[in-house]
Amino acid sequence: MAGLNRVVAVASNTFRETVRERVLYNLAFFAVLMTASSLLLGQLSIRQDEKIVKDLGLGSMDIFGTLIALFIGVGLISKEIERRSLYPLLAKPLTRSEFLLGKFVGLCFTLFVNIVLMSLGLFAVLLITYHRVDFALLKAIYPIFLGLMLVVAVALFFSSVASSSLLATLWTLAVVVAGRFSDVIRNMRDVANVPHWLATGLYWALPNFRNFDVKNQVVYGDPVSPAALMWMTAYAFTYCAILLGAARLAFASRDLN
Amino acid sequence: MATAPGEPALSVSHLSKSYGVGFLARQRRPALVDLSLEVARGEVFGYLGPNGSGKTTTIKVLMGLVFPDSGDARVLGHALRDPLWRSRVGYLPEHPYFYDYLTPVEYLDYVGRLFGLSRAVRSERSASLLAELGLSEARDVPVRRFSKGMAQRLGLAQALLNDPELVILDEPMSGLDPIGRRLVRDVILGLKRQGRTIFFSTHILPDAETLCDRIALLRDGRLLKAGRLDEILGRDESHQLEILVSGGSLAGLPEPARVGHRMGERSHVFVPEPRLSATIEALARGGARILSVQVVRQSLEDYFMKEMGQDPAPSASWQD
Repeated sequence: MAGLNRVVAVASNTFRETVRERVLYNLAFFAVLMTASSLLLGQLSIRQDEKIVKDLGLGSMDIFGTLIALFIGVGLISKEIERRSLYPLLAKPLTRSEFLLGKFVGLCFTLFVNIVLMSLGLFAVLLITYHRVDFALLKAIYPIFLGLMLVVAVALFFSSVASSSLLATLWTLAVVVAGRFSDVIRNMRDVANVPHWLATGLYWALPNFRNFDVKNQVVYGDPVSPAALMWMTAYAFTYCAILLGAARLAFASRDLN
Repeated sequence: MATAPGEPALSVSHLSKSYGVGFLARQRRPALVDLSLEVARGEVFGYLGPNGSGKTTTIKVLMGLVFPDSGDARVLGHALRDPLWRSRVGYLPEHPYFYDYLTPVEYLDYVGRLFGLSRAVRSERSASLLAELGLSEARDVPVRRFSKGMAQRLGLAQALLNDPELVILDEPMSGLDPIGRRLVRDVILGLKRQGRTIFFSTHILPDAETLCDRIALLRDGRLLKAGRLDEILGRDESHQLEILVSGGSLAGLPEPARVGHRMGERSHVFVPEPRLSATIEALARGGARILSVQVVRQSLEDYFMKEMGQDPAPSASWQD
């Protein structure tokens, strides 16, 4: 119980940090984008404008969220080490595992708040402009959030093992970009000069962020089954657990110089 | 749970630590070599050495921030990996950095939550520490606006929030102005009066001389000496005698007697105790009138510089 309280303390401080560091200011960009698109698209397209607003809204949630998860996530541990701000904390009854978990939960909560506010904004625009709200969009929004959790886990892992924030950023960026183009990696098996084992190994080892991309399906009214959502959930949680476990192992034995 | 009577607050046994340097960190640079020392309960212990001598590494090992290659240490009778001692120890790191988006009250509240303190206790202790350390008026100012001295005082506040039995301070006087240093000295003396154990590293030797019951001297990761100040400074070869003379000739004084500053007719002659008789005879022969003879105990700084000067390490430096 005491351990859980410490995790919550670290998580709430991480959330407060992101708020104070004005991370949620991205919502202002989102608001401007949504307002502008709802005003302009009606004049530019015929009957497709609602789909475009939805597409733009979901895409923005994904992109803004990924940028926050990536650039804030890589600093979660490495910045703390570089600035030595975690030294006094780890001398207290706070284990390194609790610190890692608290950081992860805190940033995920920030992303959750961000995505909830964006969703409300998108629904408000749809309600005002088209006089209806499509709650089926939640079937695309939820996987976006799962994907963002996974980006945080990747960033936290590299933040725990890399010797600097820059290296952690580069590694995380590489994995996230590769994971978003996992189908390209899979197709590399068919390219003659790429070893089959390498392409297959990378395809299975890298987190497959395409699993969470059902935006087009939802916008165009195609069904997303509950089983698919459950599979995505299981995939995200399993992968996050593996990455957090690896981060814990690396961080537990790391000298903080 | 209090430490058992007679059990040291800190004990370090054959501790060694090296860091990887060079390409792929394949070479090892020793930071601590077979270090053993004990700090008794209730004493103020000064941990002295030039930059790079291993003071901070020792403290980081004790705090679990770096892991030793070999050896062992116990804090308040517990093994390092045992988490039980952590709520009974306060730690101030060297050059502390705190979340600059927080105010001191918010930071101390966060730290208090890590200690599992109730909201009421957090609030009461944080207010009283901020008052004691002269930060009451800055209680709602973000830490990013703090001077180095204010940050250091906040560091002390977070180290004392849990009312610790043992306080470990890494260069607590570093970067402080004379008023700040006085404040830290007063805090340390106050803790001592309350029976707390204080282990602090410093290179500000007059402060160590004023505050410490015992000291340890470290160079190149090796313990040179540990003991009570009077033991360390009071040895035969450390005793200097100062002879105040008036008039006469000071020529022909036996070696290694030397003449210090002169004021008119009066001169100060310094001589090691074994050469006192010969020096007095020489002074009498020269017609000097001896006004007084008194023991001059060398300062810790004198002693330290002598110790460092015997075989100065290239890395050793007293400059920040």
